[in-house]
Amino acid sequence: MSDRIFGAVGLFLALGYAWAALIIEESFLSDAVGPKAFPLIIAAVLGLASLAIFLKPDAAPEWPSLPRLLEVALAVLAMILYAILLPEAGFILATAVAASYLTWRLGSAPIGSVLIGCLTSVGIYAVFHLVLGLSLAKGPFGF
Amino acid sequence: MDTLSSLADGFVIALTWQNLLLALLGCFLGTIMGALPGLGPSNGVAILIPLAFTLGLGATPSLILLTSVYYGAMYGGRISSILLNIPGDEPAMMTCLDGYPMAQQGRAGEALSLSGVASFVGAFIATWGLILLAPQLVKIALLFGPAEYFALFTLAFATLGGVASTNQAKTAFAAALGIGLATVGVDTQTGVPRFTFGEVHLYDGIDFLVAIVGLFALSEVFLFLEHRHGNAEANASKVSVGRLMPSFALLKYCTPTMLRTSLLGFVAGVLPGAGASLGSFVSYTFEKKLVDKEGTFGKGDPRGVAAPEAGNNAAAGGALVPMLALGVPGSGTTAVLLAVLLALNITPGPLLFTQQPDVVWGLIAALFIANFMLLAMNIPMIGLFTRVLLVPPRILMPIVAMVSFVGIYGISGSSFDLLVMVGFGVLGWVLRKLDVPLVPIILGTLLGNAMENNLRRAITISNGDWAVLVGSPLSIGLWSLAIIGFVLPIIFGRVLKARMRHMKKDEESSTID
Amino acid sequence: MTFKTTRLLLAAAFLGASAFGATAADFKPENPECIAPANPGGGWDFTCRQVGKTLQDLKLLDKTMQVVNLAGGGGGVAFAEVVNKRDDDNDLIVAASSATATRLAQGAYPGNTMDQVRWVASVGADYGVIAVAADSPINTLPELLDEIKNNPTSISVAGGSAVGGWDHLKVLIAANAYGIEDVRKVKYIAFDGGGEAVTQLLAGSVQAFTGDISEAKGFVDSGDIKVIAVLAPERLPGEFADFPTAKEQGIDAIGANWRGFYAPGKMSDEAYNAWVSKVSDLYSSDEWKAIMAANGLAPLDLQGEEFEQFVANSVQQIQNISKEIGIIK
Repeated sequence: MSDRIFGAVGLFLALGYAWAALIIEESFLSDAVGPKAFPLIIAAVLGLASLAIFLKPDAAPEWPSLPRLLEVALAVLAMILYAILLPEAGFILATAVAASYLTWRLGSAPIGSVLIGCLTSVGIYAVFHLVLGLSLAKGPFGF
Repeated sequence: MDTLSSLADGFVIALTWQNLLLALLGCFLGTIMGALPGLGPSNGVAILIPLAFTLGLGATPSLILLTSVYYGAMYGGRISSILLNIPGDEPAMMTCLDGYPMAQQGRAGEALSLSGVASFVGAFIATWGLILLAPQLVKIALLFGPAEYFALFTLAFATLGGVASTNQAKTAFAAALGIGLATVGVDTQTGVPRFTFGEVHLYDGIDFLVAIVGLFALSEVFLFLEHRHGNAEANASKVSVGRLMPSFALLKYCTPTMLRTSLLGFVAGVLPGAGASLGSFVSYTFEKKLVDKEGTFGKGDPRGVAAPEAGNNAAAGGALVPMLALGVPGSGTTAVLLAVLLALNITPGPLLFTQQPDVVWGLIAALFIANFMLLAMNIPMIGLFTRVLLVPPRILMPIVAMVSFVGIYGISGSSFDLLVMVGFGVLGWVLRKLDVPLVPIILGTLLGNAMENNLRRAITISNGDWAVLVGSPLSIGLWSLAIIGFVLPIIFGRVLKARMRHMKKDEESSTID
Repeated sequence: MTFKTTRLLLAAAFLGASAFGATAADFKPENPECIAPANPGGGWDFTCRQVGKTLQDLKLLDKTMQVVNLAGGGGGVAFAEVVNKRDDDNDLIVAASSATATRLAQGAYPGNTMDQVRWVASVGADYGVIAVAADSPINTLPELLDEIKNNPTSISVAGGSAVGGWDHLKVLIAANAYGIEDVRKVKYIAFDGGGEAVTQLLAGSVQAFTGDISEAKGFVDSGDIKVIAVLAPERLPGEFADFPTAKEQGIDAIGANWRGFYAPGKMSDEAYNAWVSKVSDLYSSDEWKAIMAANGLAPLDLQGEEFEQFVANSVQQIQNISKEIGIIK
């Protein structure tokens, strides 16, 4: 069943991709092939592959139970928040919080998680910023 | 003999205490950067340029430092591939396929040391190739026009059929998805934005580093979260490191593989625009095609570890040929090195070998030194690397996730890239559950643009005549190899397998009778 | 790009030497920062890093200039970031080049225009060249353009930038100046960088090459290609003096890929003048001259308002030609 849904989604993806390729606004200066042809070929391959998956599905994988799925979804949410807040909150703070959260959810005790999160954050900061000299996000406190 | 005396001069230049220390530093930092997901050889070299400048180094010492970083990163990429199933950089992607299964079978130490030796062999052969053949090899690069490049990339995709999944439709889906992702961004041939939905962040396209880190590293974190209450913790504690050194018999067993793939990887590296990733990729697929009779590749076959590592390190050396002799970067990293050369008042090009022999030979000597140093450094450190496996995953995984974020953010400074990376993480998780191979996606994002651009260049140059794609003996050869070697076997292989199954059934039924 | 470099040079040298002397010393950036609007390793990244290093070496800055890579949108992401978020930052400069001007002119930074930032100074220019393979029957620019005019499908011109990008525009500027009416007929093939384009010229896939002098130099020395025109107002100094200019062949075409900096739009005058004077001192130093020589950079010495005017002119010119060939409406 999973593969049937996957194949169907893939087919829609191929159609959407082909449609997006068709509405590419061509400039006056075009080469002999143009910007649409290659994406259309790829859309065809994508569509055919999806169709094959739809028609000859493999056995379905074992999907996680709802609470586990929620766990993954929350981790995704945490990462999205991290990505957005990183430039605002600064590297060390944002990373410590995000690392603590993930450590906690992966089964460490809460206090230990905070400790590990902070160490992770400072450690990465030391390696990447102080040793390698990469510029990381500066927050209100300058780190 | 002229060559050998020049090389000896090169060693005289390179063998000073300062240069040896720089090589050591470069090898060490390079290995670390190669192993960290998100930081690959090209970023590694770029990041350390200021260090070379700040130290006020001259041309040769700077090059020694930076090429040590380059070779070091090529070595380092394999470490996280084998231990964590997360490629440290894009050429190390293929090492995951057999390296991680080996680690799971308790042979992590062996996989690491074997791949270290393979890296050494690849780099060693490539460096000799660079010395002996550079001027002649340039002519190979000049045989490749746009039509030939298109045929070459098609060949690379044709070999995908043999790689990971048993379901060819899923492999094709993954490859098309990767190429499709590569088409996002401003079209370099006509300058029109494609599939960007007006989002300015997408104009430069999707960085394949973002894709690779998301697909491999973050999806690993998600998988782990999903199974936390399952058996993962129990499994993890059972992992043993195994012996640290490969047995002599194993090395001997893998030697033909290493030699073959070193040559193949070297040639792939010499072609500008193909680079180390293609080198390790074709090394793996061709070797699998050639020696994998029992179907053990992908299940922890040591030759599947040796092949891509020898291939990608040989390609790294090969990529220096067009950079030094033509001034054309064969890969992302050599593009950065090229910029460094220019900044150091060295103009690479056909005359570099005659005009500035001290720089060239000093550099080549440095490559030898770095290579020996890396071997000497990597083998004893394997025990240290494998300690990573002893860190409980609940601590290791968040670190992996955070390092991935930092690697990407430190390079591009863009929150948007981080969001795209999380998206790739989710995608990677779903696709892994559905048994869709991830390698073709990366290959697609890496080569998709070059493939399309060369197709369009070829057709434009020929004024719209598609026959140009099969217009030279070389391109006909590449197409034939792709079709006869890889596409037909898939089709006939299925028919053959079905017939075999049939016969087997007949046999079984006859024995029952 | 029909500016008078020499006259500007004199004017700018004068300006640089005198005008900012007094106010400049008062402002010291606390955390000097240079945004390279691309990943490490590219041209902008190098502009930032080399200038940052040289400024520190010359003691014009007492702290290390932090180089921040902010890639995306061909520089558009960085431009938007500076305009939207760091409009009054006094410690910041951003690397720019002809590519920046080209994209501004073609509206490729949606919603942004060149007057939203302050243009600081240039640090040099790379003049365009047009070259053919050494064994090509073509020897001069008019011969090449004649061939393109009479038989446009027979000549493929390779360059390292995208269609509508700077390498392409250079050949169009020349074609335009030669009187080719429909410059769209010029068959341009975009490659990933000048090196790859030259290689394809050697491989015989294409018939001509348009790019920067630094990209062509090694192959000219080795005798593999011949430069048929350099798009400079007059012959370049030193080892480049052998290259004929387009102008002396009767084609009034000039194309310079300049490198320089812009700063946030609301930067204080004090800080702006300080930065202008710093880059100006840098430019006149021997250290920088050595770097320019190493990189094949030709003189382009413009600071402050002169530079701002120069950028405005080039944006205008690129806009005109882009409209003419139909890249923008």
